[in-house]
Parts: sequence; structure tokens; C-alpha cells
Amino acid sequence: MFGRLKLALYGAGTAVVLAGCASNAPQDTWAPKGPNAQKIDTLQKPVFAVAGIIGVIVFAAVVYAVIKFRDRGQPIPHQTHGNPALEITLTIIPALILAVVGVFTFRTVFDLSKTDDTEMIINVTGQQWWWEYDYPVQNEYGITQPIITSGQIVFPVGTKVMLRQTSRDVIHSYWIPALNGKRDAVPGRVHLNRIEADEPGIYAGQCTEFCGLSHANMRMEAIALSKEDFAKWVANQLKPYASPMEATLAKEGETVFLNQCVRCHQVNGLKRADGTAVIAAPDENLVSGAAPNLSHLMSRNTFAGAMFDLVTPECRADVWKSDSASFGSKYLAGVSEDCLNQSDLRGWLRNAPEMKPMYANPELLASTGGKYRGMPNLGLTESDIEKLVAYLLTLK
Amino acid sequence: MLNNGSKFFIGLTALAAVSFGVYMLLIGPSALGATALFGLIAVVGFLATMVVFTRDGDTELGDSSSVSEQPTASMWPLVGAAGAALLLVGTVTTPIVTLFGIIALLAAFVEWVVQAWSERASSDVAYNATLRKRFMNPIEFPVLAAVGLGVIIFSFSRIMLAIDKSAGAVIFIVLSTLILLAGILFAFKPALKRSLVLSICAVGALGIVAAGVGSMSSGLREDLASAAEEGHYTHRECGAEASKYFDKLPLEGVSLTSSISTVIELSGGKLVARVQGINGEQQSITIPRANPTNIVFRNLDDGEFRLVAHLGEKMVTEGVKEKVETCTQLIPQGAEQALTLTIPKPAVAGEPFSLEVAGLNGQSIEVVVP
Repeated sequence: MFGRLKLALYGAGTAVVLAGCASNAPQDTWAPKGPNAQKIDTLQKPVFAVAGIIGVIVFAAVVYAVIKFRDRGQPIPHQTHGNPALEITLTIIPALILAVVGVFTFRTVFDLSKTDDTEMIINVTGQQWWWEYDYPVQNEYGITQPIITSGQIVFPVGTKVMLRQTSRDVIHSYWIPALNGKRDAVPGRVHLNRIEADEPGIYAGQCTEFCGLSHANMRMEAIALSKEDFAKWVANQLKPYASPMEATLAKEGETVFLNQCVRCHQVNGLKRADGTAVIAAPDENLVSGAAPNLSHLMSRNTFAGAMFDLVTPECRADVWKSDSASFGSKYLAGVSEDCLNQSDLRGWLRNAPEMKPMYANPELLASTGGKYRGMPNLGLTESDIEKLVAYLLTLK
Repeated sequence: MLNNGSKFFIGLTALAAVSFGVYMLLIGPSALGATALFGLIAVVGFLATMVVFTRDGDTELGDSSSVSEQPTASMWPLVGAAGAALLLVGTVTTPIVTLFGIIALLAAFVEWVVQAWSERASSDVAYNATLRKRFMNPIEFPVLAAVGLGVIIFSFSRIMLAIDKSAGAVIFIVLSTLILLAGILFAFKPALKRSLVLSICAVGALGIVAAGVGSMSSGLREDLASAAEEGHYTHRECGAEASKYFDKLPLEGVSLTSSISTVIELSGGKLVARVQGINGEQQSITIPRANPTNIVFRNLDDGEFRLVAHLGEKMVTEGVKEKVETCTQLIPQGAEQALTLTIPKPAVAGEPFSLEVAGLNGQSIEVVVP
């Protein structure tokens, strides 16, 4: 029996050690890709080393004491009491170590909270279970009108970006390990968080404050583009809405969208048949009061709180694995019909709560006044789904 | 004191209560499950009470001759009957009467059970009475004190709301002086008869309660009644002129500065926004849709000004729209006041949202809601 237990312990230990060797670890906290994360890394490595050495010494001392002085029926060994020199030494040494660590920690904390040299502002709003990003007007970056997007935050490399974070419902926490530490998003408060990337690329993140049923599925991706590519991305986001051609499947999809989806989802520039602008009403249907704005949806690579890819695994790998020189052009290509992840998108439209746990059971909405958390099952027909997919593909 | 049967049912009641809590908190609660477990608590709780009351129904237990057979007079059946009557009256009048009925019934039930139990504790009536007091006084005294003080305070508040404001100040001073004098008298004359002290306190308390009842029947004083009727306290008047009710006693400072998104400053006739995290003065602020956002208006100019948020229009009835606006109170130079904006929908073209100072033309902060 003890042999099996030993074997299981060895196996578990080996698995834990080998997990550290994973090459596909986009949320590795030891791989900084920007100056803010680098500052944290510069602090945490020596602290980890010191803590590790102390931990090993303490552990070894405990093991030594346990083995050496184990009960064999011998008299109790000599006890050391009332030795002021020893006690003061054992108090001062840890205090000094902590003081040194404290000095460097405080310096890093103050460095990370600097805001006076901010170059760009993005407002970040968390809600169950996705992140919204809105870019206020910033003419120096070509943002002449507010831009709103979700799932993926896009910003230029080498730029000090200030995230003004808040939440619409419960406390969330924004963390992209390669770019900075984590910072809570709290309802009613604005917390500042700076990110900056050295190289173009995709940097993965995850909500790190338990926020309900789909907390584990509340992901985010930060897309760093070269300044030229970022300007192209901005220009695309500012393009006016173009309604699909008449007598096409996409045009029929627009009608389905107007009948079903605009109750929560906004597409900027979308108009009804009588020419009136469509204003979605998520505040009337959702607890958080917001649903992702789907303008230019196909310029993103993810949907549903970055839980699902909008592109197929092959196309996604093509973007993720590209070098920094070609990354921008591949990302800006957006989602083509060939690359569209039809399976997940159709599954989502067919029955969203089945794909992502959400409090979307109509029978359990009494406590929320009939409002949903997350997208409910809309009961769309296969024909509607076909039309909607064709329409969504036009939102480039 | 408690026999085996009593312990069993009390334990069962506790177990049912714990099960109910675990079920409601950890297992998806359903109406059926909740009703079943709550019913179990009620049934075993009732049985536990009965078993304690009858001492397990064990006639052999103990020496019956050692138990007092002489019941003492009890007012609790009377209180229970009054509670039942109130409960019934409340069902056809107002819920508050029902609530009083339930409270009276529960109090009578507990007191009566404890009294009956204590009377059978021994053959010594004095000991039984002491036992009851030890059990119930720690509950009775705080509850009675709280209820008594609550009634007096409530009665006094009714008096103050019914009489003229100036008379209210006079009455307040006179009453507090009388209480102070009575306190001094009791302190310097400790030999005063207890009955005299009790009489003075009782007369004072009853006087306040009687005056309170009289005030309730006469209603609020005229200006309060008319203000409540016209909704002065819920309606914000956002013009440049001072509003009689809304601008009364304006708040001039903000304590929750940690949750402020933007400070709007009026200085030298110019309106600027200082947004948290953004350096410099702004003429445009972005507010997330459907999310409470706190902004602060700071008046640095000579005079009293208010900040007005113009938030488009809303449909009141078919074809009828009304402007949506909210504002701070008029605040003097150097003061600041918070305004929380929750904007459920973005602005439509042609009707941009803005922040302006009432009566100050040409100065506006654009409010962008993406």
C-alpha cells in the first residue's frame, strides 16, 4: 500500500515539475513582454530566490529535527530557553530580509502607479463575463470618434497605455501577465492600470477575481500592433456602417438581427427600414445593462468574452505564430469566410448558455426582475442562423 | 432540567435548521425542498416545545409532591388573545397591525411556556419565580427598554413634525431642560421614594406619548404637508434660480473622493473637466453606458452655481417626449458637490449629451456615451 502511495506522490510531483516546462503557456508570469511586467519580473525573481533558499533551509532543518530527535523512548533533549542573543539574532535576520524586500517592493509599486507620462487612454469596463473597451477621442492616434470593442484590446507597441478600469456588476480583476500585474475592476470606482508592449503580438489574460458562474471563461487578449498597423486598425473601426447588398442572404440576416439581436447588441450606424437609428436596449434585458457592441465584429479574432475563437484553429495559429513583422498584417486581415469558425459561432447562436455557463434560465429570473446574465437561448431557426452568420461576416 | 425526549426533539429541530441552511446555501434550492425542510423545522420545533412544556409527559419523573401545584396568575393568555385579535384585524386593515399581532402572539407564547415550565421546577414558589427571572429578564429588559424608548422617540418626532418650527425649538429646549432638572433632582436626592421617581418618569413618558398620538391625528404641519404632496423632495429644479426646496441646505463638500471619475471645475467663467488618469483639462468626457459614474462639480467662481447634465430626451407616452436632465444644488464659491450619472443608452446624433452650468452660456462639456 505504501509503495503505491509513494508511486502516486512521485507521479504527482513529476507532473507538477513538468508543467513548468510547457511551451504553450501564454499566461506565463515569468515571461514579461513590456516594461511594466519587466519591473515586476525584476522584483519577483530575486525575492523568489531568497524565499526559495530560506524555504529550503527551514524545510531541511525541520526534516533534520524530525529524524534526529524522533521519539525512540529517549529522555527529552536539552531545551534552549532564555538565550537573548540567539532570540534577537533570529528576529533581526528575518526583519532585515523583509525590510530589504520591502524597499524594492515599494519602489516597484510606486513605479508601476506612475500616470503622468501616459500616452494613450482606453476605458475598460468589466461585466459578467466579458470586457468592454472604449477609446475616447484622441486625435493624435487618429481616433476622431469614440471606438468601442470587446474581447480583444488593441493598442500600439511602445506606447504607455492607461487603462481606466471599472465594472458594471461585480468585482472583476484585469490581468495580462505579460504586460503588467493584476488590478481589480470595482463597480463605482475607476482604477488605473498601465500596459505597454515591446513587440507586436497577442498577449493572453484572464479575469482573476471570482465573479460568478463563468469566471473561468472571462478571458481577454491584448493585441499590440505597430504604430502604422494601429492607425490602420483605427481607420477600419471608424469606417461607417455598410448595409449588405439587397437580395442577399446577408441582407436577410440584417433583418433577423434587427428583429432579434438589437434588443441587446448595438451595431453603430445600423438603421431600421424607416431610416431611424437603432439603439440597443441591453439595460432593459441584462443585469449588467450592457452587451458587446458588434460593430466591426469580424475585425476581432474572438467572441463571447474571448472564450471562443472567431477563426479556425489553423487560421488562429497562423496569426499567433507569426513573427512580429508579419503579425500586424495577418491580424488586420480579420475574419474571412474561409477562416470563420462556423462551428462555434453557429453553436453560440443556436444555444449560447449550452456553450458557456450563464444564468440564462428564464425560470430563474425572478430575483433579477426578468433580466438575464449573459446571452439567453433565442430559439433561432437554422435558417435564421444561416442568415445571421452571413450578415455577421459583413461586419468587417 | 431537560429530559431525554426534550433533548431529542430540540436536537432534531437544530439538525433540521442546519439542513435547511445547507440546502438553501449549497444545494440548488427549489420551492418544494424549502417548504418540506421548513415544515420539518416547524413540526419538530413545535413538538420540542410541547415536550419541554410537559416534561416528556412522564408522570413518574421526580417526586410529584416536590412540584408546586399552585399556579400563579398570568397575563400571557390575555396578551396572546390580544395578539390573535390584532392579527385578525390586521388582515382587513393594514399589515403593521398584523405585525404587532404576530409579535404579541410570539411574546405571549414564549413567556407563557417559560412561566409554566418554571412553575413546575420545584415546590418552592419563590425559587420558581427566581428561575423564571434568571431565564427571561436578560431578554425582557433590553426588549422593553428598546420598545419603550422607541415609542417615546417616535411620539416626540410626531410632535415636532406637527407643530410650528419655532414652537418646536421652544418645546425641545423646555423638554430637555425638564429632563435635565429631573436627572439632577434624582442624583442629589437619592432618598427619594421609588414610587415618586417612577411616577414622575411614567407621567413624563405618558405625556409625550399622548401628545404624540394627538399630533399624529392632527397630521403634518402645513408646509410639510404641501411639500410632500407636491413632491418637492423628489423633483430637482435645474434652473439658474434658487429652488425653494431643492436648494435648501446645499451640500458643500464631497467625502467619497476615491470613487470620482471626473471633476468638473468652474473657474473664471470657464468650465473644464479633469478626468482621473488623464493629464490636463478636457472639454469632453466618456462615460460607460449603463454604469453609475460619479462626477464632482467644483465652483471656484464668485456666486452660486449648479451643474446641469443634459441627457437627451425620453419617450413618456406614444409621441410625447420629455427632456432628461439632472443637476446639483446651487453651491457657493469654493464648494463642491457630487452627481452620479447612470446613462442607459448612448446619445443619438443631433442630441448630444452635455454638462453645463445653469445660466452660463457658451460653456459646455461634451458627454460621450459609446
